[in-house]
Amino acid sequence: MTINLSGIGIDYGAILPELVVAGTAIVVLFLELVVPPDRRRWLAAVTVIGLVGALVATIPLWGQNRSAFGDTVIADSLAAFFNVLLIVITILTVAISPRYLQALDLDYGEYYILILGATAGMMLLAAATSLMTIFLGIELLSISLYVLSGFARTALRSQESALKYLLLGGFATGFLLYGMALIYGATGSTTLRGIAAFTAAVSSNAGGNVLLLLGIGFLSVGLAFKASAAPFHMWTPDVYEGAPSIVTTFMSVATKSAAFAAIGRVFIATFPSISSRWYFPLALIAIFSLFIGNLVAITQDNIKRMLAYSGIAHAGYILLGILPGTAQGFSATLFYVASYSVMNFGAFAVVTAVAAGGEQTADLSHWRGLFYRRPFLATVMTIFMISLAGIPPTVGFFAKLFVFQALVSAQIWAPLIVAVIMTIVSFYYYLRVIVVMLAAPDEAVVEKRPLGIPTSTVLGATALATLVLGIFPAVVLDWATRAASLHF
Amino acid sequence: MSWYTLPGSVPWLTLSLVIPLAGALLVALTPGEVRRVVKQLGVLSAVVTLVLVLAIIGGFQHGVGNLHLQFEESLRWIPSLGISYHLGVDGLSLFLLGLNALLFLIAIVIVDPQMPRLKQFILLLLILEAATAGILLSLDLVLFYVFWEAMLVPLYFLIGVWGEGRRVYAAFKFLIYTVIGSFAMLIAILAVAAINFSATGQLSFDWTVLVQHPAAGIWHLPAGLGTVGIQQLLFIGFGLAFAIKMPIFPLHTWLPPAYTSSPIPVVIVFAGLVSKLGAYGFLRFNLALFPDAAHSLGGLLAVLATIGILYGAFMALVQTDLKRLVAYASMSHLGFIGLGIFAGNLLGIEGALVQMINHGVIIAALFLVVGMIERRAGTRLRAELRGLGATAPLFAALFLVISLAALGLPGLNGFVGEFLIMLGAWASFIPMAVGAGIGVILAAWYVLRFYQGSTQEAPPQPAGFGELRLADVGILTPLLALMVLIGVSPGFFPAAVDATVKALPVLLR
Repeated sequence: MTINLSGIGIDYGAILPELVVAGTAIVVLFLELVVPPDRRRWLAAVTVIGLVGALVATIPLWGQNRSAFGDTVIADSLAAFFNVLLIVITILTVAISPRYLQALDLDYGEYYILILGATAGMMLLAAATSLMTIFLGIELLSISLYVLSGFARTALRSQESALKYLLLGGFATGFLLYGMALIYGATGSTTLRGIAAFTAAVSSNAGGNVLLLLGIGFLSVGLAFKASAAPFHMWTPDVYEGAPSIVTTFMSVATKSAAFAAIGRVFIATFPSISSRWYFPLALIAIFSLFIGNLVAITQDNIKRMLAYSGIAHAGYILLGILPGTAQGFSATLFYVASYSVMNFGAFAVVTAVAAGGEQTADLSHWRGLFYRRPFLATVMTIFMISLAGIPPTVGFFAKLFVFQALVSAQIWAPLIVAVIMTIVSFYYYLRVIVVMLAAPDEAVVEKRPLGIPTSTVLGATALATLVLGIFPAVVLDWATRAASLHF
Repeated sequence: MSWYTLPGSVPWLTLSLVIPLAGALLVALTPGEVRRVVKQLGVLSAVVTLVLVLAIIGGFQHGVGNLHLQFEESLRWIPSLGISYHLGVDGLSLFLLGLNALLFLIAIVIVDPQMPRLKQFILLLLILEAATAGILLSLDLVLFYVFWEAMLVPLYFLIGVWGEGRRVYAAFKFLIYTVIGSFAMLIAILAVAAINFSATGQLSFDWTVLVQHPAAGIWHLPAGLGTVGIQQLLFIGFGLAFAIKMPIFPLHTWLPPAYTSSPIPVVIVFAGLVSKLGAYGFLRFNLALFPDAAHSLGGLLAVLATIGILYGAFMALVQTDLKRLVAYASMSHLGFIGLGIFAGNLLGIEGALVQMINHGVIIAALFLVVGMIERRAGTRLRAELRGLGATAPLFAALFLVISLAALGLPGLNGFVGEFLIMLGAWASFIPMAVGAGIGVILAAWYVLRFYQGSTQEAPPQPAGFGELRLADVGILTPLLALMVLIGVSPGFFPAAVDATVKALPVLLR
């Protein structure tokens, strides 16, 4: 018996970047068997080469609108935007990985395979236009990250982190899947296009369609969990704290970015006709995230936990851009996601670099006097903190400006006022890091391991990008606008 | 009128921003151990900036140009949101730009080359100079905001790292106050542009565009709580940021710790210039973009400004620490500037503009004097200083001139501004003018007590107080010269800013 596959639109070109990343993972899997243990840097090199290949494969997708595989994935500017973002994050992560992994005696080849697997999942999620592929992407990235969180297998905290992530993540996946089932039951379609068409037809009476609304609600829970938006954020501080710093660096930006790609496709492209139904719950999630993230971050003395809560707060800011349901708002969201990725990656990368240098990093008190021990690391950390706080001339300022501008244009006042007040609050904990680094150093002498060229290059480049995009944001904003406008 | 014409093809204003930044870059690339080179680079960039700014002031043609703006530069920056890199200078900002360059030069010259982390100190001062110049030159609201916020970070570090006493507390309090005001302004900026967009269909943050269509209408509060004028609301949004920076009573509580903790080079630019940027903001934005609200809210603000005059003066009277004394004196003088602005008439605003320059010159000189006393005597407590003039007659003489300028003696610069402001206030709110008059009397009291207590009376304490050296005289000379020059030619500044002030929308309504 043969299965007729014609007519469902097999188009490998549309998913070429994902294929390249997944293929690289397989290549690394086999290489790991033959590469001697002291040459594991080669695996990092192969990984980077594969990722650069995926980046090249992404370029032709910009400006296209290619639905493939029966409307389950699409190659469009939005997908290309996220492909570039995710691949660059992964390249930067892999570049700083060997130094950290060697310092902590974690240098195993599986690490690169899992990172590539997670990236492939995230890219698929960003390109997914059906409930099935959304689920597939989320599971691929989640399972890779569950393992990575516990990658420091002898450290209890890392194990705890992995277990917590797995249990809570599994629970969230349950919500997600149940929501998908309900939406399918209500609309009779699994593709976003079909769901959108059905919803638009019944939009005048959407309030009566309990099945659909319940489904959207459950789906939102699952996506908000991945974006670590409150009140579905409980796992974030524990997992970020326990996971190896390099893994935290990766997932704090990449997972959130991918989740917002999916949130954008679902809320803005699929359910615009019933925006009045999802506006209020989404606004509530954003406000919760802003409150909990910023207020709890103040009380944190552990820098990874502080950054975790800061990440929750930023999820709130990013969600604000979704609220207007306009192209302008969504482009602000995309710009915010990109700038958050740059600056937050940088901040966690500094934590990773300090940890790999043989220093304690967990408690903020360990950062005393870093300006005198490690002037370069302290300077770039200052830039990232200023950017996260949203002070010009850094990219974090424009990220907030564009989101606020979208809210003002749409006359959405209450969430805006919360966001502004919470931004003022956030200055306290971001600037505290700088003040601590400037404080008189402790006497303890720490053996310094050199930073190495890859790490200093990555940190220098991200810091520079934070500043340059803070002075010339127009180009990235233009890309974000074009990526966002396809749906309207 | 102008003395010469500068070639139009050179981006003069951008240069005045770029030179301090280039200096900062050079300083950053110099190893911190060669302290002399670091400091000389800093001085050099400040000198070049000052020369350039003086050239701009000389080449400025009064009463010419679109909205009297000159040396305009406009580049597309974020076209999709109507944000542009738009610089220009007019009567409101011209002389403040000069004051900016002068005070930063003095601040960098008096930096002690042996201070810890000299390189970073000079670096931050130069970045701060670029930011404050940017505030004065920006004609795009977002650009203005960027500079306004960018000013915060260097100031925060300059106080928090190199300050004295509870420096981190002081820096943090200053930061939180400022940021609250800034965000109120940011929302107001976005709202101004959004309102203009719905009225004209053009999304623009350009001051020259927005000034032609003042926002109108009323906003209905939710839940039937009544209505608020949109202009009034926006006025308050901008005004909060500027009132905190000036500061206007009762938003001043960050000031005493911040000024007292700042090292002398920082406090010179902080009190001498940064406080004026608040006043400048009121003139440039509140009075130009929201003229109706300026009329309806001006009375309230004039009352607050008068309270600030008296409160600052009384607080200055009871201080034992000279630095705190001058800090409160500064606040009292800023009250005069506020009163002139909110009087909302030609005399008051011109007086305020003149007084902004005067205050910058006088307060910088007073803080320099405090710094000289502290360095020589090892204390700044009023009770421990006596008869310094016995061994340092030149110091006492120059200090006397500064004191007389500070208390508003005719013939020196302080009188010109205060007199114009009181004339303006008399025309609008007579009781406030009376209050300001009382403030002048109080100023004479605390300034003369400061002067007499420290330089006269016997026996001298501490004994052997060192006389001024040539370098100290050199630093004070430009400030003293300005005090006398403005004092003996009181008509110069008002005439120079006349055209710009007369075109302010607040005077046209």
